[in-house]
Amino acid sequence: MGRIWAVAKNTIRQALRMKVAAIFIVLLLVLLPVMGLTATGDGTLMGRLQTFLSYGLSLTSLLLCLLTIIVASYTITSDIENRVIYMVATKPIRRHQFILGKLLGVVLLDIGLLILFAGGIYATVKLLPRFQDASEAEIAQVNSEFFTARASLVPPVLDVTEEVIALYQEKEDQLKQVYSSLTQAEILNELTIRKRLEKRAAAVGQGVLWEFENVKPLGADESLYVRFKYDVAETPADNQVYGRWQIGDLRQMREGTEIKTYIASEDRKDPLRTFREIEIPASVVADDGYLAVGYINPPLNRTVVLFPLEDGLEVLYRADSFTANYVRATLVILCRLIFLAVLGVLAASFLSFPVAILFCLVVFSIGSVSGFILEAIDLMDANIGMIYEYTIEMVVHMLPRFDKFNPTKFLVPGRLLSWSFLGSIVVSMVCVKAFLLLILSLIIFSFRELAKIIV
Amino acid sequence: MDYAIETISLTKIFSDWWGRAKVYAVDDLNLKIRPNEVFGLLGPNGSGKTTTIKMLLGLLHPTKGHALLLGGQGADPKINTRIGFLPEESYLYRFLNARETLDFYGRLFGLTPDVRKMRIEALLEMVGLKAVARRPVGTYSKGMARRIGLAQALINDPDLLILDEPTTGLDPIGTRQIKDLILKLAERGKTILLCSHLLADVEDVCDRISILYGGKVQSEGRVGDLLRQADKRQITTGAISEKALAKIQKILNEEGVGCDVTSPMEKLETFFIDTVVEAQQQAKPTSGAVSTTDIGEFLTAEESQGSILDRLASTSEPELAPTGDLKTEEVEPVEVATPQGNQDLLSDLVKPDSGSETEQVDSTAAADLAAPKGPKPTEVPDVKKNVLDALMGGDATPDATTSAPQEPKKDGESGDG
Repeated sequence: MGRIWAVAKNTIRQALRMKVAAIFIVLLLVLLPVMGLTATGDGTLMGRLQTFLSYGLSLTSLLLCLLTIIVASYTITSDIENRVIYMVATKPIRRHQFILGKLLGVVLLDIGLLILFAGGIYATVKLLPRFQDASEAEIAQVNSEFFTARASLVPPVLDVTEEVIALYQEKEDQLKQVYSSLTQAEILNELTIRKRLEKRAAAVGQGVLWEFENVKPLGADESLYVRFKYDVAETPADNQVYGRWQIGDLRQMREGTEIKTYIASEDRKDPLRTFREIEIPASVVADDGYLAVGYINPPLNRTVVLFPLEDGLEVLYRADSFTANYVRATLVILCRLIFLAVLGVLAASFLSFPVAILFCLVVFSIGSVSGFILEAIDLMDANIGMIYEYTIEMVVHMLPRFDKFNPTKFLVPGRLLSWSFLGSIVVSMVCVKAFLLLILSLIIFSFRELAKIIV
Repeated sequence: MDYAIETISLTKIFSDWWGRAKVYAVDDLNLKIRPNEVFGLLGPNGSGKTTTIKMLLGLLHPTKGHALLLGGQGADPKINTRIGFLPEESYLYRFLNARETLDFYGRLFGLTPDVRKMRIEALLEMVGLKAVARRPVGTYSKGMARRIGLAQALINDPDLLILDEPTTGLDPIGTRQIKDLILKLAERGKTILLCSHLLADVEDVCDRISILYGGKVQSEGRVGDLLRQADKRQITTGAISEKALAKIQKILNEEGVGCDVTSPMEKLETFFIDTVVEAQQQAKPTSGAVSTTDIGEFLTAEESQGSILDRLASTSEPELAPTGDLKTEEVEPVEVATPQGNQDLLSDLVKPDSGSETEQVDSTAAADLAAPKGPKPTEVPDVKKNVLDALMGGDATPDATTSAPQEPKKDGESGDG
């Protein structure tokens, strides 16, 4: 361990003294405050906080990712290219200890810088409301929607396969006429979407009911938010939609027994295709974590009201503090950095510096747009898609999906980044993918010839 | 018997991209180096010396055959603990200073902090870099880098020392110091593999040599046996009169052999040291290495390694050569195997420079050098032999950093020294 530590310490020194890290540190030290002053978002306190946090954390993450790749590759390739490795490898240190030491050094450097900059952003975000002339309402909004970690419950995606198949079989000829340009699979897909949407639509005078289990707000005195977005079949003149909402343990009504827990009821009028939130006390949740949300379409509307599939409805409740959420978000970034450090070490174990950097950047870029690549492959023609499915798609799946695990996606809307989500990232990105790469790099480095061929 | 270094049919073939053999760098090499031997591996450039060493140390994999160091593999940490290696150039972390460099390597050897600190100080003192120990080694001249490279090779007090072109870039005093060190270590039972194409260095210190060419051993044997001209004799006398000379010639003529009579020239080494001493006496500052012929005490101590290290580590000022209370291991004065006059010169060299910004050499060490009392080995070879060759051969031109007359061009970088 002493030897690994000696190498690690030396690596940190190298990064700091060779001015590799210094450039990134200075860049962040300059850019973050500038961003704090200029990032105003939509002008509101909320907008300002969201913009600063989003850009600040993304920038820190990006620069640290690049720094990690560069330092991890450089520290090993430079030892080999400058032949310092001759002196080091002939000392009583095993090759794997050398690699682990280098890796430890890079990771420790990352942790240090991450604490420094993530801490700085946190402090700025926390202090910003004090220096901003914000109204009471704005501060309340920020506290309930930004400085929080709200868990989100969305209705499950319903399985409508049987209904779709039945419908298709019944009206096959008709459908083929209507969708003449589509294949059978595409027609089925279309029908599935329609069926699902049907389940989320309320005809005039009718309603939709969603039921949720395992709702666990922090306390009964907390608030619960139903966030929804209306869509309609025929747009009303004033673009407004009426609605009667009933939220709580609706089983009580069904059974006709005494109502023990409070059931919230609201009549509202809201604009179309815009996110709205209903705030209700968390005490509406039943003791067993059950919660039902019902919407009734009043005759005033004169049209079918539906809730879009993706984001039509969700139930939000505060599940943790902003600080805890922020810490987890930082840890997600750290996972990413650890993966990249291992990647850099792997590349450096058999490539020269420029090639290693190129290799790492390609992997990093693919990982950062993996969602886009996968979507693009999905949209391809089935035959060509096959080729990609077994080549690029497999590669993309083997790489970590940085865009999917983007922590700012959670922090900006104040969403809960749960421990289990973090755990899944740690397992897939660090324990499996990074670990395998590390093993590979240890094997390569242990068996390669360190000296150059000179005759 | 167990050899310190043994190679069995060691072969290294460098192939091209297609796997076709291109160059036989080392070809069926069978070396057997006994413990406590100073072995010279000679050969012109590209004869496979360095490749052999790299295979010994596990930096290159042999195409065929085996290389054994101290009975084990060169890549085995247990074996590495007992080996000191100085590559053909000092490859150093440019961002570390001398002390940090030695500390790093000391840690790799797993030395305890006390021992590490003691040895670092002793080695810095020995290689004359104490005054510039806080400067990044990236700013060192070649000779200074060489010195720090030597120091790192010695930090573990190795049983086997592998030196690849150790004197490259060193000034004559440094060269001499290395030769003295090699002899001193050999005296303590260490094995040394010296790889060089500077023949004079090898001739001065090696017991046996092997000459490589084209990756093969061309000649091998004891230096004395290989070089002795059995059919000639040499007599050196004081300044005798012409009359006496005529008598001698007459006797020799009667024996039926001829003779040449010449006055021996002063050695360039002596001349060089003279010049440097003079400059130091004029108190010219240097930003380079300080010339010292001192050898790290832990390297020359006769006692078992453990006890002396433990004891030294517990003293309050371990870096200073102990004088009064440690009589048994007084710093061994360097064997200056030269006429008496030269010893004085060397002692002058280590006298503190008044007015100089560089290191103040411990006066006790200087006193020891001025009046050597320690035991002297009887079989010290004449290291002054062929100094001219050593100085002129290869790239061993006198290094500017220690020679005060060339000092001014170093002034620019002496700021942090």
